[in-house]
Amino acid sequence: MAESTKNSPGGGGVFPLRIRAPRDFFGGLALIALALFAMWAARDLSGVSGYSFGPGTVPRLFASLLILIGAAVAISGLFNDGPPLESYALRGPLYVVGAIVAFALLIRGARVGGIRIPEFGLIIATFVAFMIAVLGGTKIRLLESLIAAAAMTAFCVVLFRYLLQLPFPLWPSF
Amino acid sequence: MNDLFSNLWLGFSVAGSPVNLGFCLLGALVGTLVGVLPGIGTVATIAMLLPITFGLDPVGALIMLAGIYYGAQYGGSTTSILVNIPGEATSVITCLDGHEMAKQGRAGAALSIAAIGSFFAGCVATVLVAALGEPLTKVALEFGPAEYFALMLLGLIFAVVLAKGSVLKSVAMVMTGLLLSTIGSDIDTGVGRMTLGMPELLDGIGFTNVAMGLFGFAEIIRNLEVSAVNRDIVQSKIKGLMPTRKDLKDSAWPIARGTVLGSILGILPGGGAVVSSFAAYTLEKKLAKDPKRFGHGAIEGVAGPESANNAAAQTSFIPLLTLGIPPNAVMALMVGAMTIHGIIPGPQVMTKQPDLFWGMIASMWFGNLMLVIINLPLVGVWVRLLRVPYRILFPSIIVFCCIGIYSIDNSASDVIIAALFGLFGYWLMKHDFEPAPLVLAFVLGPLMEDNLRRAMLIARGDTTVFVTRPISAVLIAISVALLVIAILPMIRKRREEVFVESEN
Repeated sequence: MAESTKNSPGGGGVFPLRIRAPRDFFGGLALIALALFAMWAARDLSGVSGYSFGPGTVPRLFASLLILIGAAVAISGLFNDGPPLESYALRGPLYVVGAIVAFALLIRGARVGGIRIPEFGLIIATFVAFMIAVLGGTKIRLLESLIAAAAMTAFCVVLFRYLLQLPFPLWPSF
Repeated sequence: MNDLFSNLWLGFSVAGSPVNLGFCLLGALVGTLVGVLPGIGTVATIAMLLPITFGLDPVGALIMLAGIYYGAQYGGSTTSILVNIPGEATSVITCLDGHEMAKQGRAGAALSIAAIGSFFAGCVATVLVAALGEPLTKVALEFGPAEYFALMLLGLIFAVVLAKGSVLKSVAMVMTGLLLSTIGSDIDTGVGRMTLGMPELLDGIGFTNVAMGLFGFAEIIRNLEVSAVNRDIVQSKIKGLMPTRKDLKDSAWPIARGTVLGSILGILPGGGAVVSSFAAYTLEKKLAKDPKRFGHGAIEGVAGPESANNAAAQTSFIPLLTLGIPPNAVMALMVGAMTIHGIIPGPQVMTKQPDLFWGMIASMWFGNLMLVIINLPLVGVWVRLLRVPYRILFPSIIVFCCIGIYSIDNSASDVIIAALFGLFGYWLMKHDFEPAPLVLAFVLGPLMEDNLRRAMLIARGDTTVFVTRPISAVLIAISVALLVIAILPMIRKRREEVFVESEN
């Protein structure tokens, strides 16, 4: 954990309400935003009628409670000291998510916007997803990765298609 | 008492059939394998391997999944001791003294004490599950919606109290999980709720997708960010697996205490293997004549937590099998596995499918025995596995997870949802939010809502029903008391002390 917990100058701040624990403060705000969004998404659902709950009752109940607790978390971020915000890495999330999305789009094909992606099947989807994921690492060794991707693809095909007999398309069909 | 024995006998005859022994062995081996590998936890493992059990018969499938679960506990400790990286969250604490012992050339003793402790705990827990199964099932029959709701509330509060870090933030995670669980069709009217017009969301968000995203993908994204972990593998050959007489004498009581503690914490909803290993370590340190030895290779620091986590791993089946309530994320996945095979977890499992119930319990004993026998001789193989570099490991895990998620429903949108939860999990880590309470709440959410609605309907909208019915009132009272204790700052400080030990 970060050691720079006390990076802010001690003593009285310029502001009486300095954000002392930004992780809590912004985390709480984000949860409030999430709850408000849920409130908006559930706006059309009917509420309590008679003794029985409507479909919207419980979602709104949970969302309201989340707003309260989110606010409490954010406010506690003003009064308690906490570590500063951490920066986000871009490379890892980008390629990891990229690999997963690529797999999802390739395995059975998909329609994204106006573009139709044909069905590529298990072999290509697995291989491509593996290679995209590799790019998310720090040290990239192309040959080694290609061999590993091929081996993993073969293993998955044998395991899922032949041993477990799950209904995967193996090859592309356009 | 006679019933217990005849039931256990039934169980042993089911679990002892060659096919089921084979599944048990396979599960234990696969569990150990994945447990050894750091960077992939039990929840992600079981979620990933669910499709493997689709083709099996229900008994075999559940025996194998249970094997994976406690196999992972064993495997995790091996990595902790030899490499100083916990293979599983449950063995974080084993690193402290286990790895010190390994550095002093006593890796063999540490490994075998961990195995012996786990085996002893496993045996006791097996008997406990068998003995408590029947009476608790009877209790469960007395439960109405109000009691179920109160019990689940208690479970969530336990999860909050036992989670690391701030109580407030854990409560926030519980609420987030509950809110997310309401997405999808309404149980009474069938109206789509908060689906934003997307038909993919009508069935709700699958639990496996959430678990895989938060525990699988987020973990990988996080690991990629942390610069290459220094893997300090004990290079010297492991000699002398047998512990000395003194080792055995020193660890006998810690094993017994760890077993008791783990069994209790495992039964509690919201508890589980991770918490119990921390609790056992703290207990041993408090009881020790010379607490300074802890962190420098005290065998008690291996024996206690390792017994506790194994006991808890097994007793956490009790609430699932008797009440139908999953006490933690792993058990929630077991619910998923049971549902796939057409079994609804709850008190009726024991009466309607006694072979499944008792077979699974008996298989735990076989599994633990197998783990002791296979694990120690195979240590060399597991160590070699640790030399596989992460740059090859993580793409393999990602691909395997993708195929696993996809195959559950043949749904590509599930894969995308898991990816989104991966990003969400990464964000949670950046803000020091714990995903565990969120996941438990997500699992219990629909059950809680259902029981809350029914309770209110039966009571004609009278909210006092939760405090006027005796069982429910007791459960609510415990919940409130727990929350008050957790919020009292003095106790909070002590909580931090307990968990700070895991950080360094």
